[in-house]
Amino acid sequence: MKGLKVLKGEIGWLKKNGLQVLLVVVLTLVCAVYLFPIYWTVVTSLKTNSEVFSRPPIFFPSSFTLSNFYTSADVFRAVSQTAVGSVPWMIDSTIIAVVATLVSTFLIAAPAAYALVRYIRSSWLARLILFMTMIPEAVFVVPFFIIVAKISLLNTWWGLILVYISFSAPFSTWLLMGFFNDVPKSVEEAAQIDGLSPYQIFYRISLRLVTPGIIAALILSFISCWNELLYALVITYSPFPAGAQTVPLFLTSFIIVEKSFAWGGLAAAGIFTMLPTLIMGIYAQRYLARGLTLGSVKG
Amino acid sequence: MSEVVIEGVTKKFGKTVVLDNVSLKISAKEYFVLLGPSGSGKSTLLRLIAGLEDITDGSIYIGDRKVNDLLPKERNVAMVFQNYALYPHMNVFDNIALPLRVRGRSKEDTTRKVRAVSETLHIYGLLEKKPKQISGGEQQRVALARALVRDPTVFLLDEPLSNLDAKLRVEARAFLKKLQKELGITTIFVTHDQAEATTIATRMAVLNKGSITQVDDPYELYARPNDVFTAGFVGSPSMNLVHGTARRVGSGWEFHNEDLNVELGGKKLESEGEVIMGVRPEQIAVEKGGGGLMGSVSYLELLGSISYVTVNVGSTALIVQLTGRPDMEIGDTARVRFRPEGILLFDTRTGRRIDLAKV
Repeated sequence: MKGLKVLKGEIGWLKKNGLQVLLVVVLTLVCAVYLFPIYWTVVTSLKTNSEVFSRPPIFFPSSFTLSNFYTSADVFRAVSQTAVGSVPWMIDSTIIAVVATLVSTFLIAAPAAYALVRYIRSSWLARLILFMTMIPEAVFVVPFFIIVAKISLLNTWWGLILVYISFSAPFSTWLLMGFFNDVPKSVEEAAQIDGLSPYQIFYRISLRLVTPGIIAALILSFISCWNELLYALVITYSPFPAGAQTVPLFLTSFIIVEKSFAWGGLAAAGIFTMLPTLIMGIYAQRYLARGLTLGSVKG
Repeated sequence: MSEVVIEGVTKKFGKTVVLDNVSLKISAKEYFVLLGPSGSGKSTLLRLIAGLEDITDGSIYIGDRKVNDLLPKERNVAMVFQNYALYPHMNVFDNIALPLRVRGRSKEDTTRKVRAVSETLHIYGLLEKKPKQISGGEQQRVALARALVRDPTVFLLDEPLSNLDAKLRVEARAFLKKLQKELGITTIFVTHDQAEATTIATRMAVLNKGSITQVDDPYELYARPNDVFTAGFVGSPSMNLVHGTARRVGSGWEFHNEDLNVELGGKKLESEGEVIMGVRPEQIAVEKGGGGLMGSVSYLELLGSISYVTVNVGSTALIVQLTGRPDMEIGDTARVRFRPEGILLFDTRTGRRIDLAKV
């Protein structure tokens, strides 16, 4: 009898929380699907070569090695790089991504988004900016190559920086327009009456209120610049240390034409490449999700 | 301290006329209230005075300056918004100090003024806090402090009490009135709450659909509304408004409809015709029992010291105010009597009040 009662209780609980349980199960599955590649990369980077190529694949390696990270030992002896060798490329990547991100966010996207929301209020212009973010980047490869070549910026930081700005500025503008739209108009009007000029209102009030949006734009823009391969390949094509080459290009050097991939080294370098964006991604989600103007207006 | 003069001001948004040829004179040091339902244009009028909107037609003067083309900051007006509009990223001190800082006041001067105004408003202990860390009532005081710190000539308040809870609202109302008296700043207060308006105003204007229906002191507005709209809008519960005709009966006059015949008590009209009779709930007497004008009690509302009784006379429902506990219940038969001096008549066509002469 008692057992039955407990069982009834359990069924009741399940009825009440059924949706919750289902949600947890589904989310766990989704999480597993997304996290598996990361797990696989980490495990592969730590595997010995024999285990990398073993069939069936080994999910839980029995022995670990750090050789992929710092020695040049490679199964084919054709790849000289290790993960540690990525450092100079990382420096190039950092400079290019940081400059492109700062310029596109602060000098272009934030003023443009504010103007579009508060002054121009042109929906077709706003839509045009949205469309620009939807165009596949491959479309512009040839024109951009010609432009960058004509202004003699091939194989330089500035060549890539200009191209990256042209991609991240429209996206950040679109993102920030939403945030500026949420800034209560009365706060700006109060500032107007308090005696602030339109520029002061932008700089001292509104820009500060969209800080979560700015952080989100900075991080998303940085990640996309950091990960970009196609343009890096085209615009900085000559071999290192020709001028400027980013980390994704470094990763391609683990591909051994006609033979195979240096999986261990690629995975190890991949972890190095992934780390900054992973940390930023975790940091950014907080700002993307967070509400905007807590405290200024009573809901 | 300046007077504010509004001359023939019209405001259109596209083709919508929000304010239609509004003229108004607000004296220096006056506590003036703009009262009206939502959409009446009262907030727009305030925003025109502040300079947040452009005037379509007409002129606004603050003091002896025409301010039509002046920026808000050049008008030296201060405004408190319904949602307070504090700067959420700054602490209370910086919120209050900002108007002084942008005017280039010295650091010592700014600190001294901010401290002085925050003492007046009892928010001295909050200066280091952010707006979201303090209560609604405190936020409102911070907004007031920010408005007052630079000694404005005109003080504009746009429904500043409507986000406060009932008890706090009554407190804030009294506080604002006292503060205004102490500082002697010309104050224009916008509200849709007629009780709020009548308790604080020295004079008030009632707006309806972009036009001013009446400008008067609160008592006159209550006792002698110029038209049916004002009569119905000012006072709670509303004035009883009954449609019917005015006609001559013998030597006197009476109001008549299918349910009621009310003697106008020695008053006369220029001619017979359709009218609306307006009577305040306290100008009607009701007694249990039959005889005279009879109706049945349909609703009782007990408010403690007074109560409201709804009496249906035929299809006409009348709200009557009683002192103390009513000795009747729903369904009882009751006798209704109108105090002749409390009867107002309005022209059905124009809505204007008809002045009654002695017979």
